[in-house]
Amino acid sequence: MKRPLSQVTKIVLVALALSAFGLLRAPWEDAIRDDLVENQLLLPPPAESAIEQMSQSALMGTLGGLRTLVSTFLVLEGFDHFSLKDWEELRNTYQIVTSLEPRDENHWRDIVWHLGINATANMELDKSLPEFERKRRFQQYALEAIDFAERGIQQVPESAIIRQQLAEVYREKLKDNCKTAEVYGDLIGLPGAPEYVRRFHGYFLARCPGREQEAYDYLMALFREGPSQHLPTLIKEIQKLEELLEIPSPERIRAVPRQSPAQRRASKNTLPGGIVIP
Amino acid sequence: MNESASPLQSPARRVAAFSLSRISTIAMSTVTQLVRMKTFYFLLAFALLLFAVGNFNFASSPAQALSTLKKVSFGAMDLFAWLFAIVATALLIPRDIEDRTLYTILSKPVRRIEYLLGKLGGVLIVIAISLAVMFVICSFMIIWQQLGYIAAEYDTRDIRTEQEILASVTLIENAGFRGELIYAAYASFLKSAVVASVTILLSTFASSSLFTIIISILVFLVGHAHTMATNFWLQETDNSLVVQMVLKVVKILIPNFQLFSFSEGIVQGASVASGVLLQMSGITAAYLFVFLLISLISFGDKEF
Amino acid sequence: MSEELAVEVKNLTKVFPTGLRKEYVVAVDNLSFEVKAGEVYGLIGPNGSGKSTTMKVVLGLMAPSKGTSTVFGYESGDIQARNEIGFLPENPYFYKHLSGAETLKFYGKLCGLRGSELKDRIADLLQLVDLEDAAKRRLGGYSKGMLQRIGLAQTLIQNPRLVILDEPTAGVDPVGSRQIRDLILRLKEDGYTVFLCSHLLEQVQEVCDRVGIIFKGRMRREGPLEELIRIEDQTELTLKGASPELLEQVRNLIESDGSAELVEEGHPRTTLERLFIRIAGQKENQKESA
Ligand SMILES: Nc1ncnc2c1ncn2[C@@H]1O[C@H](COP(=O)(O)OP(=O)(O)OP(=O)(O)O)[C@@H](O)[C@H]1O
Ligand SMILES: [Mg+2]
Repeated sequence: MKRPLSQVTKIVLVALALSAFGLLRAPWEDAIRDDLVENQLLLPPPAESAIEQMSQSALMGTLGGLRTLVSTFLVLEGFDHFSLKDWEELRNTYQIVTSLEPRDENHWRDIVWHLGINATANMELDKSLPEFERKRRFQQYALEAIDFAERGIQQVPESAIIRQQLAEVYREKLKDNCKTAEVYGDLIGLPGAPEYVRRFHGYFLARCPGREQEAYDYLMALFREGPSQHLPTLIKEIQKLEELLEIPSPERIRAVPRQSPAQRRASKNTLPGGIVIP
Repeated sequence: MNESASPLQSPARRVAAFSLSRISTIAMSTVTQLVRMKTFYFLLAFALLLFAVGNFNFASSPAQALSTLKKVSFGAMDLFAWLFAIVATALLIPRDIEDRTLYTILSKPVRRIEYLLGKLGGVLIVIAISLAVMFVICSFMIIWQQLGYIAAEYDTRDIRTEQEILASVTLIENAGFRGELIYAAYASFLKSAVVASVTILLSTFASSSLFTIIISILVFLVGHAHTMATNFWLQETDNSLVVQMVLKVVKILIPNFQLFSFSEGIVQGASVASGVLLQMSGITAAYLFVFLLISLISFGDKEF
Repeated sequence: MSEELAVEVKNLTKVFPTGLRKEYVVAVDNLSFEVKAGEVYGLIGPNGSGKSTTMKVVLGLMAPSKGTSTVFGYESGDIQARNEIGFLPENPYFYKHLSGAETLKFYGKLCGLRGSELKDRIADLLQLVDLEDAAKRRLGGYSKGMLQRIGLAQTLIQNPRLVILDEPTAGVDPVGSRQIRDLILRLKEDGYTVFLCSHLLEQVQEVCDRVGIIFKGRMRREGPLEELIRIEDQTELTLKGASPELLEQVRNLIESDGSAELVEEGHPRTTLERLFIRIAGQKENQKESA
């Protein structure tokens, strides 16, 4: 057996060997990383703003590759804030959650729902706040929800559920028919988007001042696709537009509405104007 | 001298210079050791965790509930794999030295690299078995929940159109079980293999298990951060040369564990090409090979 | 033709650095000795005299600071050299989670033994060290003496030519150490070479052909045991049933001789150790006859 090397010599040798290996593997690893990020297998590092906001333990978890566990934990925490109606905290939590997992559309949808629907509804009802403050916060939460939705759509451009939730905020809370129509329009053709978004795009376009003609043409195109589209609401909407646009009677439609199963129990989920929400 | 002397008068038969069977003997004894330390009991805890998550309904939709279940199970699997790799490796080797079991092993015709390979192999076998069992448990849970949710969708038949139900079911199925999820478990396995080899290297220098465990965890954490760190600071110009140098040194010396987090992408629904798996297996093999060789610098002539 | 050498240590020096400063402990200092094939060689010396260090160098667990060590012509540490050696460290610990038989199986496999050969060998060795009944029990529940014996069995698993034992009877009661000594004598009869060390002279004296006395790392005396302990100019007589008259006659006879002198007279006493063994032996006999 040969004389052993001294500890210092060993450490120097190990450092040299590690460096050599490090230099050799760096380009290979960079290429793999780019490949992984491109294929959405690896998330890009969380944004700087998220890092600043993250609590110590969350940051450690993220660094340690526990990203998903940490974000799941934060979602649980968010649920807690929600039950306590602590909307500010809820928003802050989701700020981190969405930075940790920007590709998970569920997080975006959830915060849009929380802020845009739950928080605003709470502001409509909360009698502990003065009237003007409730109005101010209602606006604030709705706008924040829209902001989240837009960032989410940027991260997950093909997401249907974020847009559906955004449309609901415009439709139910802000009563902005033009914006609602626009979002439903964006939804058409997206993977996972429900069938009804095509019709809804038309219905709300019809309610957007100045775009009635466009809505009429669009709905007529739908109508001409065949009897499967001859739903009572569609026919009613077209007929309303025919009145409004003073379409000559020979060009007006004469059709029997198709019976849909949704129709039978629709009484509760009906919007003003008879639009049924699935 | 007397020719008919006892066989003890003649030299022993020659032994192989390198032997896989000696490695597997040490590996299997390590597995036995870990099994008899009741390591597998944590699998019960894992099953309970999944059961709790599966039945705790905080999600806003079935798809999200499934996605949470997946994330928690694969997150827990990943956590188990790397933590176990560090702790088991850091405990077993120093213990052999302290108990002088290593004296008797190394006084047999066993090479030191064979010993290290055997220990590493044993720990990895236990991790592989555990991951496989956890994968089966969580697949079962996911599929079970998924079928429940789908059945619930069909129960709404009289108030929704066939098309709408099918759309919901598709949504659930997309968030549910996929065969590709097994590659997420594989990613955790590869990661734990690299962590174990780092721990072996450290434990050949360290004098205590605690030291080895703490430093290994630190290396592991930094190994996740260095891509992030490079992105953050290297591109900004207002950083001093020193900071840049430090970051570069870290990047070169410490393994890039972030690459192995591609399991998260798989869990979130991205699909993985076989090329990626091959590349990652290749880089893992490179890490193991190089780190074990480097371990020999210290361990090869270490005196006990 | 010279006899084959099992161990040859030449000018061995082993120095340990201590602390951060350039301070050293010289554990072994220019030590030379050889162990011939087939003999039982004992290295004796007080605690800290360098016995274990010498053995570790011979095994290749440590490198010499100076000098050389070979085993059957192979350099110490060579994998072939280790194949010729069975080693029992001082206070051996084996994997507590394994049973006696599993322990032997583990070491046997490490030496390349397989199948029925290994199985037979394990059975033989368990019988040799009298642990057949405890073969299936985990080592965690073994007593010190049982551990020492399973350790001894482990050293023999690949039938090595050379057996190195570091304090084989340390911490074992007199009955146990007698069993171990008998075992060593059997090994010698079977043709094994044994290299052992101890700090207990009387334990070594019954089994060793040759001993080396080591103190502070240096060899002080070396040679066949008889030569080392014989007091050349004295003779011991032990009589039984001698009458006072006979004793008187003997005393007179000695006095009448001009050169001889009576140094000591009295009743010989058995050693405590011998007494203990005899009592333990009687108990065993009573149990068997009952
Ligand atoms: N690894 C080591 N590092 C530093 N000093 C050591 C080391 N091993 C042994 N020594 C020192 O070398 C000397 C000889 O030790 P060794 O263990 O060989 O003695 P020994 O004769 O076997 O004693 P004992 O009868 O107590 O077993 C002692 O002074 C001991 O302190
Ligand atoms: Mg000693």
